[in-house]
Amino acid sequence: MLRKLVAVSAALLIGLSGCGSGDDDDSSSSEGPVKLRFLSLAWQKESLTANRELVDKWNAEHPDIQVEYVQGDWNSVHDQLLTSFEGGDAPDIFQYESAAIGEFAKQGYLADLSSLVSSDLKGEISDGIWKTVTFDGKVAGVPFLLESQVVLANKKLLDAAGITVPAAGQSWTWDEFQANAQKLTKSGTYGVAWALKSPTNRVMNLSLNFDGKFFYTDGSKTEVKVGDAEKEIPRRIHDMIYVTKSASPDAVGMGGTDPLPGFFAGKYAMLPGGVFLRQQMVEQAPAGFEWVTLPPIKGLSANQAANPQTLSISEDSKGKKQAMQFVEYFLNPANMARLAQGDWLVPTGKKAGEELITSTGGKQGWDVAVASAGDLTIAPFQTVDGYPEWKTKYATPALQQYFANKITLDQLGTQLVDGGKQVLR
Amino acid sequence: MTTLTEAPVARKPDYKTKARSDRTTIYLLLLPALLPVVVLSVIPLVRGIYLGFTDARAGRNVDTNFTGVENYRELMNDDLFWSAFRIGLVWTFAVTILQFVLAFGLALLLSQPLKFRGFARVMALVPWAMPPVIVGIMWRLVYHPDAGLLNEVLYRGGAEGLQHNWLGDFSTALPAVIMVGVWSGMPQTTIVLLAGLSGVPRELHEAAAVDGATAWQRFRSVTVPSLMPVIVAITTLDFIWNFNSFGLVYVLTAGGPGGRTMLPMLFAYEEAFRYGNYGYAAALGNVMVVIIVALLAVYLRRRLREANA
Amino acid sequence: MRASRLARTLQYGALAVYMVFLGFPLVWMLSTSFKPPREMVEIHPTLIPHNPTLDNYVAAFTEQELGRAALNSLQVSLSSAVLTVLVALPAAYALARFKTKLGTAALGWVLLSQLFPFVLLVIPLFLILRQVDLVNTHAGLILVYVVWALPFALWMLQGFVRNIPRELEEAAAVDGATRLQVLRRVVAPLLAPGVVATSLFAFISAWNEFFFALVLLKSPDLATLPVTLARFVGVEGIARLGPLAAGSLLATIPSLIFFAFLQRRLTSGSLAGAVKG
Repeated sequence: MLRKLVAVSAALLIGLSGCGSGDDDDSSSSEGPVKLRFLSLAWQKESLTANRELVDKWNAEHPDIQVEYVQGDWNSVHDQLLTSFEGGDAPDIFQYESAAIGEFAKQGYLADLSSLVSSDLKGEISDGIWKTVTFDGKVAGVPFLLESQVVLANKKLLDAAGITVPAAGQSWTWDEFQANAQKLTKSGTYGVAWALKSPTNRVMNLSLNFDGKFFYTDGSKTEVKVGDAEKEIPRRIHDMIYVTKSASPDAVGMGGTDPLPGFFAGKYAMLPGGVFLRQQMVEQAPAGFEWVTLPPIKGLSANQAANPQTLSISEDSKGKKQAMQFVEYFLNPANMARLAQGDWLVPTGKKAGEELITSTGGKQGWDVAVASAGDLTIAPFQTVDGYPEWKTKYATPALQQYFANKITLDQLGTQLVDGGKQVLR
Repeated sequence: MTTLTEAPVARKPDYKTKARSDRTTIYLLLLPALLPVVVLSVIPLVRGIYLGFTDARAGRNVDTNFTGVENYRELMNDDLFWSAFRIGLVWTFAVTILQFVLAFGLALLLSQPLKFRGFARVMALVPWAMPPVIVGIMWRLVYHPDAGLLNEVLYRGGAEGLQHNWLGDFSTALPAVIMVGVWSGMPQTTIVLLAGLSGVPRELHEAAAVDGATAWQRFRSVTVPSLMPVIVAITTLDFIWNFNSFGLVYVLTAGGPGGRTMLPMLFAYEEAFRYGNYGYAAALGNVMVVIIVALLAVYLRRRLREANA
Repeated sequence: MRASRLARTLQYGALAVYMVFLGFPLVWMLSTSFKPPREMVEIHPTLIPHNPTLDNYVAAFTEQELGRAALNSLQVSLSSAVLTVLVALPAAYALARFKTKLGTAALGWVLLSQLFPFVLLVIPLFLILRQVDLVNTHAGLILVYVVWALPFALWMLQGFVRNIPRELEEAAAVDGATRLQVLRRVVAPLLAPGVVATSLFAFISAWNEFFFALVLLKSPDLATLPVTLARFVGVEGIARLGPLAAGSLLATIPSLIFFAFLQRRLTSGSLAGAVKG
């Protein structure tokens, strides 16, 4: 038995030394093409195809700048990037999101793109969006896909309650939304399902509706304040669940797509969520189910915090210029429109948006989605050092308690402010 | 203390003459295991422990300073960590004990000459053999309040009143994730105990049976004592693993609702990988190691004394 | 040792409950892998799909290179399992049979290394492997897995060695056998169940390991199964459940087959005969 084991392992080891090594990135020799690694987070079928085709096309057209396509995934990309930065082995180009790259930028791992981005690309994207990727005056990534918060609704239930569907750009106010949710609520049906498993970003994003900033900076000192403006959104959502009972208490612990079975079964009439949910509608709605995309709800404004997906370049990359060339190509209007369509998200580029409206005819909620891009801008929390820590340690537990009706609105305010004092020292 | 403490030297003179070559043998036997361990485990570990006494942070070309006990002073007043630690102890003890009891029961069944035994043994391995990425997703669906398997079973069984928002409710979230923890760790424990059971000498059982001992008496006086080294080993390792595991809980609840399932290792992970505070996270690790080692020392000393008695 | 009929019935009942509790995911994955997207969000999920489809399997194999990932995983896991046992077996024997300071230290180390938060060890480990040029190779990953599985292997195997009556070895030694012969002829067969449990552990933990495989292997050609399967999960934990279930089901089977072959050995109680002989 022992002898057999030895023989097997020897064979395996020999096999290993033969084919185990795939380390071929020794491109230190000055001749030959520049080799770049591109970590993509595409996961939907259409967007996977689009990503791979664009890279293949680029490689065919640019023999001197070869891009290797590496597949990552959203769940583990943070750990993967952090480890590879620390180990000095990061991908040259990678996809991620503005909320996360700020930390990396401040830690010095990302190239400043401000001098590398062409004026064409710069002009395509609005200033408010550029600000979400600018940290200490340095541009940490090129924003390209946006997710705005809209409301998906069950058309038949709206019709039955005599509620007309607002057109793109004709947002309901929060009062109208709450009144309509009330109308839609009857036995067996809730007007709304608020999926609040991760409540903090949701509340922060929507709070811009009422100018709720949460973070106030005075000179070099930042602190958390919870005044009436900040309390609007939490209070309204809480009231819908516990006072008017037009929102389901069971949905509170759900993540983004968890309410779908209930939504399709008519248990929830409206489902506030990201524009990408439209894909689930197309793929998963039962035969005969009619859904509509309602424009974002508005308070004082329809503003929401933008957290665009981004393409960044590593500071340690040996071919930053070439990497930027690839990014420019990858995000030209036609390509950006295609990527947005594949992921059911809104493109940051104006031309890309127009192209998308033309190619889809504005159907499947694309009219509402593209129009909502104009409401997306930067919120104060996005540039605060220590926001991730405040969010995980204090804000999320406190909001979860509030939405489970365990603490009062004032207690919520106190916890958020105290948490701010702990983190923002 | 010589190299051969337990060998009955006086009775077996052959052994005594081999003492010297035995010493060489020991080192030769240990060497292959020690070499990779030293390079890939000791060095990172020592570095990790050292980090706990510095202000190391994530960043390119960041200076790290030795700060002595600074981290620990801060840590003493870190209420969130200690609350996570308490939850971690509840989680660890509950999961380890349930895992052991259930796995022991299953191992005893699987060692009986039952039909479909081979099939059952393979089935018992399923939680372990599944890719972890789908385990968390699946359990989320099991506990789903609207379309979950658990509520569906209750619904079809006519017990609609028992339907519940298992992971969302503050009081059921921790028990619900403990159940998943027990489920996911049962195969290892079962397999090890099953392997251990096969080492229990049959003669002892038969002798006890001849003496008229009942099944329970035989279990108490024969099975358990001769299995003790294996039981100690697996419960100790289970305890450590359960204390250290957080991936599954992270997928299920991310520590929520309201921090009810925030485990200390999840806390340390976020401190290191989300906020980039390597130094502080390592300090948390050091403190947890010390406390758990103390707990284990008590347990191991008692068990080993019993075993050697 | 004959159980009464009632006791047998109870035993079968208990076994059935265990099987449902532990084995239900297999049924669930099977059912889900044949469901079209619409049927995954039904409020009352059914076991048997209304409109079964093979699309999920097609997607799993065409969109990600599951086949190659499976081969990679097989190579890595088998090598890790074999190496772990080869390295751990002699050491465990030494630890169990001789009390040395080194042995105590080694066991203490085993526990400590399992206790320390492994997330903090990843980066130093990565740097060491980089220095010896083992990043982005299967050999490097195998090395990590062996080191990772060693504590369990040592700790368990030495428990099993202790279970073997010392008299057996002494008897053999009296008969003039060298220590190596004692090991091979007497100890090794008795350790078979322990070796099975240990190699199974090493195999499955390597087969399912995600984190190190993610950070150590960059080249797409080298990726293992868990890393490849994770690509069916997207933003906010939303998964493409169909392809994921299909791929996961296929990824579960090799471990089960591996075990189906080994499980007889698990209770090949040759101990009784040995004591008598």
